[in-house]
Amino acid sequence: MDLKEKLSELVGSDAFLDDPASLQNYATDYSYTPRGAPGCVVKPANSEEVSKVIGVCNQNAIPVVPCSSKVHFYGATIPKEGGVVLDMSRMDRILEIDPDNRRVRFEAGVTWDKLTKALEKEGFRVIMPLTPPAERSVLTDFLEREEPTNQVYDYGEPLQGMEVVWPTGEIFRMGSASVEGYPDSPSKGGNPSGPGLDFYRFFQCAQGTMGVVTWTNLKIESIPKMDKILFAPIVDLDYAINFLYRILPRRIGQEVLLLNNVDLAAILAQDWPADFEKLKATLPPWTLILVISGLLRRPEEKIAYEENFLAQVIKNEFSDLRLDENLPGFPGLRNKLLPILRKPWPADVPHWKNRVKGACQSLFFHTRPVKAQQFVTRIREIAVNHGYPLSDIGMYIQPIEHNRACRPEFTFFYDPGNEGEKSAVRALYKDAAKLLLNEGAVFTRPYGDLAPIVYERAASYAAALKRLKKVFDPNNIMNPSNLCF
Amino acid sequence: MAISKEIYKALESVAGPEYISDDPVICEGYRSGPGGYEAGLGYERVMTTVPGCVIMPRTTEEVQRIVKICYRNDIPYVPYSTGFYGPRSHPHVEDALLIDLKRMNDFVLDEKHFYVEVGPGMVYSPIQEECMQHGAYVVIGGGGAQASAIANLIGDGWSPLSHRIGLPHRRILGTEIVMPDGELLKMGSLAQGDDPFWGEGPGPDLRGLLRGYTGLRGCLGIVTRMAIKTLPFQPERLEPTGISPNTALTLPEKRVKWINFTVPSKDEQVKSMREIGHAEIAGAVTKVPLFWRAIAKAECKEEFWDIWGKETEESVANFFIVRVLLIGYTSEEQMEYDERVLMDIMNEVGGIARRTKPSDESWIKNADSAGMWLMCGGYVSVDYVIETLSQSPGHGPCYAELKKKYTPPLMPDYGDPGWFQSFEMGHQGYSEFLVYWDPDDDTNPVDQFYVDTSKMNIKNRFYTSLLGPHQPLYLTGPKYGPNYHEFLLKVKNEFDPKWMSHPPVPLAHDVFVERAPWMHHMKDWESPADIPK
Repeated sequence: MDLKEKLSELVGSDAFLDDPASLQNYATDYSYTPRGAPGCVVKPANSEEVSKVIGVCNQNAIPVVPCSSKVHFYGATIPKEGGVVLDMSRMDRILEIDPDNRRVRFEAGVTWDKLTKALEKEGFRVIMPLTPPAERSVLTDFLEREEPTNQVYDYGEPLQGMEVVWPTGEIFRMGSASVEGYPDSPSKGGNPSGPGLDFYRFFQCAQGTMGVVTWTNLKIESIPKMDKILFAPIVDLDYAINFLYRILPRRIGQEVLLLNNVDLAAILAQDWPADFEKLKATLPPWTLILVISGLLRRPEEKIAYEENFLAQVIKNEFSDLRLDENLPGFPGLRNKLLPILRKPWPADVPHWKNRVKGACQSLFFHTRPVKAQQFVTRIREIAVNHGYPLSDIGMYIQPIEHNRACRPEFTFFYDPGNEGEKSAVRALYKDAAKLLLNEGAVFTRPYGDLAPIVYERAASYAAALKRLKKVFDPNNIMNPSNLCF
Repeated sequence: MAISKEIYKALESVAGPEYISDDPVICEGYRSGPGGYEAGLGYERVMTTVPGCVIMPRTTEEVQRIVKICYRNDIPYVPYSTGFYGPRSHPHVEDALLIDLKRMNDFVLDEKHFYVEVGPGMVYSPIQEECMQHGAYVVIGGGGAQASAIANLIGDGWSPLSHRIGLPHRRILGTEIVMPDGELLKMGSLAQGDDPFWGEGPGPDLRGLLRGYTGLRGCLGIVTRMAIKTLPFQPERLEPTGISPNTALTLPEKRVKWINFTVPSKDEQVKSMREIGHAEIAGAVTKVPLFWRAIAKAECKEEFWDIWGKETEESVANFFIVRVLLIGYTSEEQMEYDERVLMDIMNEVGGIARRTKPSDESWIKNADSAGMWLMCGGYVSVDYVIETLSQSPGHGPCYAELKKKYTPPLMPDYGDPGWFQSFEMGHQGYSEFLVYWDPDDDTNPVDQFYVDTSKMNIKNRFYTSLLGPHQPLYLTGPKYGPNYHEFLLKVKNEFDPKWMSHPPVPLAHDVFVERAPWMHHMKDWESPADIPK
């Protein structure tokens, strides 16, 4: 029996694909990463099938490329050395919702659309990154450390106890889900840490190179009883950043973010492209978006103390800031934007990042907020050098952990059908990454072209990663040619 | 192998003659115990030795050079900072080099970006003082404010203040670690530059090597530098008062306040904690054992026994207190809001506010010092588990039941079920169980109790801190994960193939059971024949 027959037998012929048309769906994504060549696709139904597939591939040294979503921006799921695509989309069960402990357990194929709807019925929500595509895997986004727009919770990281299939095919549960007989146990999987080592850390931002996470527990939060979304037009970015340094350590707000006119226009536009161009031309250079919320108890009083604090700070220290429920010139924005921040991007509408020109490349990293303006200036200089229009750069600054850090994201839009544009953006992206790295940008998620640039700098880290990888994946079958593997 | 003169000279050239010694008098100062955590038990007697040599490096580079000398010459070594963790942080093999890290006490505070950057010799006390002067605070673990912050964070690192932040791992930012072979590994933002403000990556997060749910006792390297995230606090001064050992912080009542409530039952205790978490208020929420109240009230050991001796199983079983710390992080108005919400919750569960001192004696100031618990002369915190409020309330009573079998020598405590509390705003629940004994008694049953608790946790499907190097790996390993021990040992073998970094950790408890005759009858699990005897 050859390998394909074996795999087909393991998952069932309906869940095995190797026809050229199907394989094409896994050969590219929304990034400029070169086309890959998957040998076949398997869609396991459960952890045992995942284990068997990986076990067979490991015995035969066949690459395995895990893939949980239908929407990919970074090229991480494109098979770079061929092999088997492990499509997790059939594992899409929400296994339990635990209201007492504000916890949900679900499989890797569960999408943002499915999870948010199921939780909403129970009065809960996931703390979300900005506009995740409805058909993306929630688990993947958290494993890949997408930053949420809500940073008020001191404990941050939402992932809890989870299950993984190691590259050797062994099934392993991590954290407090590791007890025998889980989930039939007093231990509910609320702690991701241990046993022995913090194994769960090795899967963060691993792009599927360390194994396959099959399900996870995730912290969820109650849906606020009431919200107020506030806007401030910003011309001086440093001024806005200083305002955030002042208010966020005081634990003000739920969602807090800064978007430039390009990104905000792309998010808001309905009639395309007229709406986009008009908004881009009329929106302020930056918009500060701040949501304050009343929670389960005494919601009006919570909003009141936050508003009073904000009013005092603005009056006494930031009198030039116009923070209001309306953004001047854009009536109705408050009713429109809050649902956008609280729901995934709908599947039947092209994602705003792709609506501008069809494709895009985003450069994002972590830094101190005080350096945000410096990086904006550098990006503009590099864009000029590469002939990229300044008026077309999308910019988004996500304050993190009470504004002790932030995540700037610069997006360059291009026409994927125009090879010249594509290669120009690629060159711009690589140059920008190198220059920003030299100026202190911290790249924690090195995809594609970024990986060799970052790991050359982080040589000791890369060396240790390779040693660790060898422990768990001696045949380097898991998504090879990504990161430093 | 003993440390030869040549090797001694090589080590001396690294740290300087003032900072190395093999004088038996000096080395004797590093003997484990007496009077500390877990002191006097069989593990200490069987497993610990006096180091063959002690060295005190000042810099990361010196640590690297020392470790490389050791690795090249097969000299086992043990990193050591403040030594709180009793026998486990002392050498377990003859002629080991003890690397005392106290001189590495650099301390930088970044007020604006909420972190401190410290060396392993830096203890919590000055960190907390400096943080609070600059609008921040840290969570001081149960080891007390005299514990090394780094050792605490890669070992345990929680307290009732974890109601807001929970897992200590989340506070570890840019970190440098000298790996067992002497190579330097920089993590987080330090991997890409010299700014330590960020903890992740790049790519898979190697902070997973620093610890598991609990620490690794230095068997995977020596952390020499770490940035630790601090939490924004409130601006008012907490004024130190009193004369040691009876010190406290006077609280600015409009910004920081403890309130003790009695509630009708354990169910109400748990419910109130959940509701406080769901309402997203407060800085700490904990259930305090009656036993601790007796300790807090007593001025001396004799007075403690007078107070505690009046309790009964019934009084302990019917004592339900919830202790809540309110902090006005945003403003006085926010604290008033929190208090109104808290009172709503307590009204719903039948809670009654008790008179509470406007001061903090423990958790903000310094956590609990080791001495506070020494009512019998010996004690250990057997288990301390972060899971959920589904596991936590039931965990302690199981311990209390098992404890009866081992009392005496364990101190009679009327069935006290330990304590539990909310972590991460009720997403997690914490439980801890402490035991006390008289070291002059036959303490072998204490060792046996300790292993029996692991069996109890396995049987009842509880998550436990008794994993990693804290119990026989071959007992717990097959039952959690499963087989987490195999993966842990593979990692150990990859990064320390010669097992020079604190041997035989993480197999020290396996070795202990083999070496201690009074433990043999407990061994009903399989282990390889080649574990060192």
